Amino acid sequence: MASIVHPGLLRQSFASPAASKRVFSTFTHQSTPLAQQIRPAFARSTIPKSTRIASFHATQRQQILPPLPQKIQGTANDPVEVPTSSPAHGSYHWSFERVVSAGLVPLTIAPFAAGSLNPVTDSILCALLVIHSHMGFDACIVDYFPKQRVPKTRLAADWALRIGTVALGIGLYSFETNDVGITELIAKLWHA
Amino acid sequence: MSSMRVFQVGLRRAAAPAFRGNAAGRMVQRRFAATNTISQDSAAELLNKQRRLRPVSPHLNIYQPQITWYASGLHRISGVILSGGLYLFGFAYLAAPALGWHMESTSLIAAVGAWPAWAKVSAKFGIAMPFFFHSLNGVRHLVQDFGIGFAKKTVMQTGWTVVGLTVAGSLYYSFIG
Amino acid sequence: MASTRVLARLAVRRTAVRPAGFTRGFASVTDTKAREPISKLGETINPSRPVVPESKTSTVKEPAPAQEAKTKTFHIYRWNPDEPTSKPRMQSYTLDLNKTGPMMLDALIRIKNETDPTLTFRRSCREGICGSCAMNIDGVNTLACLCRIPTDTTQESRIYPLPHMYVVKDLVPDMTLFYKQYRSVKPYLQRTTPAPDGREYRQSKEERKKLDGLYECILCACCSTSCPSYWWNQEEYLGPAVLLQSYRWLADSRDEKTAERQDGLNNSMSLYRCHTILNCSRTCPKGLNPALAIAEIKKSMAFT
Repeated sequence: MASIVHPGLLRQSFASPAASKRVFSTFTHQSTPLAQQIRPAFARSTIPKSTRIASFHATQRQQILPPLPQKIQGTANDPVEVPTSSPAHGSYHWSFERVVSAGLVPLTIAPFAAGSLNPVTDSILCALLVIHSHMGFDACIVDYFPKQRVPKTRLAADWALRIGTVALGIGLYSFETNDVGITELIAKLWHA
Repeated sequence: MSSMRVFQVGLRRAAAPAFRGNAAGRMVQRRFAATNTISQDSAAELLNKQRRLRPVSPHLNIYQPQITWYASGLHRISGVILSGGLYLFGFAYLAAPALGWHMESTSLIAAVGAWPAWAKVSAKFGIAMPFFFHSLNGVRHLVQDFGIGFAKKTVMQTGWTVVGLTVAGSLYYSFIG
Repeated sequence: MASTRVLARLAVRRTAVRPAGFTRGFASVTDTKAREPISKLGETINPSRPVVPESKTSTVKEPAPAQEAKTKTFHIYRWNPDEPTSKPRMQSYTLDLNKTGPMMLDALIRIKNETDPTLTFRRSCREGICGSCAMNIDGVNTLACLCRIPTDTTQESRIYPLPHMYVVKDLVPDMTLFYKQYRSVKPYLQRTTPAPDGREYRQSKEERKKLDGLYECILCACCSTSCPSYWWNQEEYLGPAVLLQSYRWLADSRDEKTAERQDGLNNSMSLYRCHTILNCSRTCPKGLNPALAIAEIKKSMAFT
């Protein structure tokens, strides 16, 4: 007995025989005078004066992307399911994203050197910006609206983005064909 | 003979429960928590029931602010600001004829030209900050995609360099350029 | 006669009479012969030996009393599964650093031993090789046994379990999903062809060198749980630790299933939720670089 119980607890259990029954319980009761009367001596000894308790609110106040209750598929010895290979959403998507981003770099530096772009390079910049923005928003949607957590929101967001990108494409096309071009507009607005 | 032994053992146990007839001097561990064995299926069911009650440990609010994930978060936020602005402009230009707005470049420039100086500078700064940060950090990410600059020290240096250049560039272009 | 012997044996066997729970014994010494040399030694030495006078022995001094107690406060995340509806809370403990070991794990063990035995955490090796005591200390994921207690007593330390994990109790997170993900990358050598010399799969020094910085991973999950992408999508994204392990087998010259391994990662979620945030490399208590390993995987898969 003595070897498995802390000496301090042993003293407590001498003082109150009922305490020994609670030695292996993990409960620590708090407050209410009545509870203090009936709760075992052990529980009292575990909360010395040097410790104090503060309720933990951080996760309650700002619930960002609240997780679902834990659910584990299969036993601990089963591996998680490996998704089927789809390079179009994997490696090709990633490489294409990098190529577009890398292509934007010279097209972004050029207006700083030359003031603005000629209509052809300006429209290329516009097209790349549309693709780049679409992929960026898409990454946000995939990250923050997982299918199994919020399936409906995900679907709505996906379609809103597709419609939005098409609308942006049409809008920028008419701007590029009817007006001065995006770099020219920004340059003029900057010095307006 | 045997019945005699059984009787003796039983008697000893009944008489001195604390001693438990331990002739060999073995220590006996007493468990006060009541346990009972259950089948594997019901154990799994019990575990799943407990799992559903578990809280998730705090994350975003308690993790130390570091240049690594703050820069990454700002990269996404600045990208959303810039792309969002582009989308809004596109929608507005598309809807302008129907709503009677004037989104032609000449009228836009004239409208902005009429703003007070402080509004111009703060608008420029509000666009230049995310633009420079996203562009410079984007280049940093492109370099990292080649497997370059992953040492802990390099990551911090490049991160703070991006921040410094962003501040310098956006200040220059909103006040002077 | 035989039947009586059987009966007698039954009577002696405790399990036949008593519930098994009460027969649990431990630390019983049956081999008494091992002690004999000492008892024989006792016979050879004269029992009435003269006492060594105090002038010939050194003095054991009282340990110097602490001039000033270095009291430091530790705020520790608590949640008890026996009260499942209660909110997790932060409990504060104060310790005198002069009486505590240098590491955070020492402080936790001291709290558990001397102040609050209900405090629950995992620990095993206390030297940074088992990965059990991974937790979030002062906002950074690390191993408690490798993390020094900051000696600045005005700074209060905060200890949380690994971020965004389901908590079993107090500082113990549920790692089931993490281990299941590890299993899914098949962390073992896959080969169909026998070794050329029929004996062992040989590597050149250069090939072996590629595995440095990968095989040292102890799967403590510090990196995975520091990754915001893993916070939001841990059901589908594998996370830095598992991807580092995946790369350990992709980079192994002896492994012949490289293409199959890459196919398993080639989708939008498993690998490509990594946005090079680099929290993983920043936090790794073993000084490894999971982000670099992931970048190498992406690079090798770029146009396949």
